[in-house]
Amino acid sequence: MAFELIIGAWVATGLTFFIFSFLYKDNPLFKLAENLYVGVSVGYTIVKTYDTVIVQLIWKPIVENGEWALLIPVAIGALMLTRYVPKAAWLSRYAFAFIVGVGSGLAIPRTISSFILKQIEDTVRPLMTLVPGEGVTFTWSLLNPASSLNTIIILIGVSSVLFYFFFSVEHTGPGKVVARTGILFLMIAFGAAFGYTVMARMSLLIGRLTDLIEFTDRSYGWPSLWLLGLTILALVVMSRRSSRNKPEEQ
Amino acid sequence: MTFAERMLRIDRRIIFLVIGFCTLLPLLYPVGLPIKISPEVRGVYDYIESLPEGSVFLLSLDFDPASKPELHPQAISLLRHAFRKNLRVIAMTLWVSGTGMADQVVTQVAREMGKESGKDYVFLGWSPGGTAVIINMGQDLYGAFPADYNGKPTKGLPVLQGIANLRDVNYAVSLGAGNPGVEAWYVFGKDKYKFELAGGCTGVMAPGLYPLLRSGQINGLIGGLRGAAEYEILIDQKGKAVAGMDAQSATHLAIIVLVILCNLFYFSSRNRARQQGQAGA
Repeated sequence: MAFELIIGAWVATGLTFFIFSFLYKDNPLFKLAENLYVGVSVGYTIVKTYDTVIVQLIWKPIVENGEWALLIPVAIGALMLTRYVPKAAWLSRYAFAFIVGVGSGLAIPRTISSFILKQIEDTVRPLMTLVPGEGVTFTWSLLNPASSLNTIIILIGVSSVLFYFFFSVEHTGPGKVVARTGILFLMIAFGAAFGYTVMARMSLLIGRLTDLIEFTDRSYGWPSLWLLGLTILALVVMSRRSSRNKPEEQ
Repeated sequence: MTFAERMLRIDRRIIFLVIGFCTLLPLLYPVGLPIKISPEVRGVYDYIESLPEGSVFLLSLDFDPASKPELHPQAISLLRHAFRKNLRVIAMTLWVSGTGMADQVVTQVAREMGKESGKDYVFLGWSPGGTAVIINMGQDLYGAFPADYNGKPTKGLPVLQGIANLRDVNYAVSLGAGNPGVEAWYVFGKDKYKFELAGGCTGVMAPGLYPLLRSGQINGLIGGLRGAAEYEILIDQKGKAVAGMDAQSATHLAIIVLVILCNLFYFSSRNRARQQGQAGA
């Protein structure tokens, strides 16, 4: 097995155990792994951004291909750095204005079209389906998202939830029933979202444990077993030290 | 203190340990519980199956190592399927922190399937701008990515022959762990440049993407590790996702049992407190 794979396995295993050690209690091993994660992520992002943006998209096209027009976006971007010079900080407003203007112009119409108009279109589907030769039909299948029954449920759900957030009318009498129905739909939505969240978190745990099991292999040098033992030992030593120090402090 | 009250004050580390064992044991001793294929995952599979050889398949790996356990198996399965169908694969990422991992997974699967970089597939890497990259690709693919990840000029690559922009893409799948991801690909890609789109996402994001699926804005959705396992079954190449499904079921069962027990203990201790209150009055 390649040496870098073995080193990678030992580093990944060690850092996984250090992070998991937080489940016992906060400790320096966890802090070390946490800070390493932040540092490595930021370092990697800076290096990749420098290489892709400065070298590949700015320096090479200008110097090697003579694409001098690229100096215009570079100049607009450079204006942002004037924020560090208080006297010239006002220049950065031009760069921000450009970004906000272009960003809003691109995002607002597309977002309205994609998330509001398309979703309204889907919510107000015909409650019954016209099938050629069969006439108007009503489909009852809950498992078919396009069935007439599901269309009615969605319509009731959307209307009742919207009414629940409509505060200009007091929720009494029939209004209370509609608002309560809205709460019911909201609770079901929150429950589904939480269920998926649990599934996602467990998947992450499964991913780490799968790797740890793989790294119990002899070809890697049993890093999972060695580092599990070392982490537990370190936690025991730290726990004893802190319990010894406490009476002295008192 | 009653048993119920003691249970409600139990050290949370015991619960962590229970969940840990419920995950570990099925991984060590798999049972092989059945996995049912959902229509949303089949939608992606069927569409790729329907594509003729040489069609253009764009896979955007919009995630970083933090979401690897869920989205990495999805990427492997989709790439294996696309390569098996001899599609022209364009891979890329909108997440700078996922660039190295995306390159590794594309290269690994391509090597396994005997595919050649530049001829059968291309990994474009990352380009700054997030959603603006999608718009840029919709206008001119070569403007957004003048070179691939290895520095080769994209113009003239055999795999990109006849492709000018996103309108020439037959099918795109975004494996997203956040923003930019599936939604960005719909809003700034499909809605504007009219190509067929599907999504793969983490479990946390799946409920938020179902409205797009129902309205036909995306034609399929692979949600979390479960979705990845379903896709592995569909392409008949079981991998890490299928291996993790027993553990997933076991932990879900453990959590359901814990929720029920906690509720029982809570209501039991509340009833006792009420009875004591009435007796005291």
